[in-house]
Amino acid sequence: MSLLTMIIKMSEGLGKTCAIFFLTLLFSLPLGMIVALLRMSKVKIVSMITRFFITILRGTPLMLQLLAVTYGPYYLFGTSVARNKLIPVVIAFAINYAAYFAEIYRGGIESIPVGQYEAAEVLGYTKLQTFLRIILPQVIKRIMPSITNEVVTLVKDTSMAFTVSYQEMFTIGKQIANSQTSFMPFVVAGVFYYVFNAIVDYVMGRIEKRMDYYR
Amino acid sequence: MSENNVKADRGETPAILEIRNLQKSFSSLSVLKDISLRVERGNVISIIGPSGSGKSTLLRCASFLETADGGDILYDGNYAMRDGVYASKAELNRYKTLFGLVFQNFNLFPHYSVLKNVTEAPILHGENREEVRERAMEILKKMGLEGRENAYPYQLSGGQQQRVAIARALAMRPEVLYFDEPTSALDPELTGEVLKVIRQLAEEKMTMVVVTHEMPFAKAVSNHVIFMDSGVIVEQGDPANVFENPREDRTKQFLRVFER
Repeated sequence: MSLLTMIIKMSEGLGKTCAIFFLTLLFSLPLGMIVALLRMSKVKIVSMITRFFITILRGTPLMLQLLAVTYGPYYLFGTSVARNKLIPVVIAFAINYAAYFAEIYRGGIESIPVGQYEAAEVLGYTKLQTFLRIILPQVIKRIMPSITNEVVTLVKDTSMAFTVSYQEMFTIGKQIANSQTSFMPFVVAGVFYYVFNAIVDYVMGRIEKRMDYYR
Repeated sequence: MSENNVKADRGETPAILEIRNLQKSFSSLSVLKDISLRVERGNVISIIGPSGSGKSTLLRCASFLETADGGDILYDGNYAMRDGVYASKAELNRYKTLFGLVFQNFNLFPHYSVLKNVTEAPILHGENREEVRERAMEILKKMGLEGRENAYPYQLSGGQQQRVAIARALAMRPEVLYFDEPTSALDPELTGEVLKVIRQLAEEKMTMVVVTHEMPFAKAVSNHVIFMDSGVIVEQGDPANVFENPREDRTKQFLRVFER
């Protein structure tokens, strides 16, 4: 198999790689905020349960979580394994990343001085207005570098979908590598991820720059 | 509302703020013990005293940032708190519009321009955007901040930031303005410009309560001085009397430190 054929075949999986990437962000970024707010809940039992789930999601391998979400229902309830593996893959990724984002959000929210809340309260901002207008914009600016880190990791983590044989770029590459006994597909995959992350870096840098107008 | 209104009972103009027997403790530490005071319209009251005496806590209770444990808080003759029980949230929100608070650390919103810091709250309260903007520009001019409306807080000196904070409070058109050590976070050379605008507001008969360590300022600008120590009002009265002829030993001792 020529290098070009390899590249073309693997490119066909890029759409699925992108699907994992964008869908995971789409769900995990807001879900992480909900988890963060639950984690900071004044109701002790709520924050304790949330904390427990976060430790599980951060303390066990993503690969294991992928397997659990994809095949767990079959072993537990005898239901058939999802035909479209994208669904369990995105569920597992979104939940896992939400746990990480939640901790980043929490750190960001807790780093905002209490005086910001007090100033808003005295000026008659409602709780929701205070959060959306005063706190959240400052939190986003503060956590952008950490978020970028996670997003870069996510690009590379999409390759883990091969454990459940979801036909994304890396899974195809691995299959070619096996059948052709060639290392080239891994080199191609490496280049793909590198370029993908160069774009991510550029975009995130632009977003960070847009928030540079204040300190 | 009428049964809740003391002025109707007595047929007198109510004080904008009246506090009776206010009590507040943090766990076992009693910070305010039986504090009573009246703030009449047009008055400037200075609260002085050593740190930890409860001055700031008193202001924070008056602005509902701190929950008091007992006593009464009345705004314009209406109970915001009666015998340790707070009025409804809606009522408290109404009383909140009567006062403004200027913090020691300014607490400006760093991601907003000067103008947005000053205008957003009144606009959120449903006021006309253009009117608020015009009013804000006027206030900023009065604060000596003309031409700085598009700057961001980090681009301003501490003194300028505090003047923006004062403008932000004034834009809400409060009936009484509270200052919690407004110059304590400033470099000495910058305190003057902030004290100057407070003095200017006093001349315009703005009602103010100022917690301060600036004794000459308190003496010159206020018409009533309260000396607090360990959660009680030790002495109060005319500034000339309190500063020149303090009756209490604790006041004398405290003021002696500032004479040097």
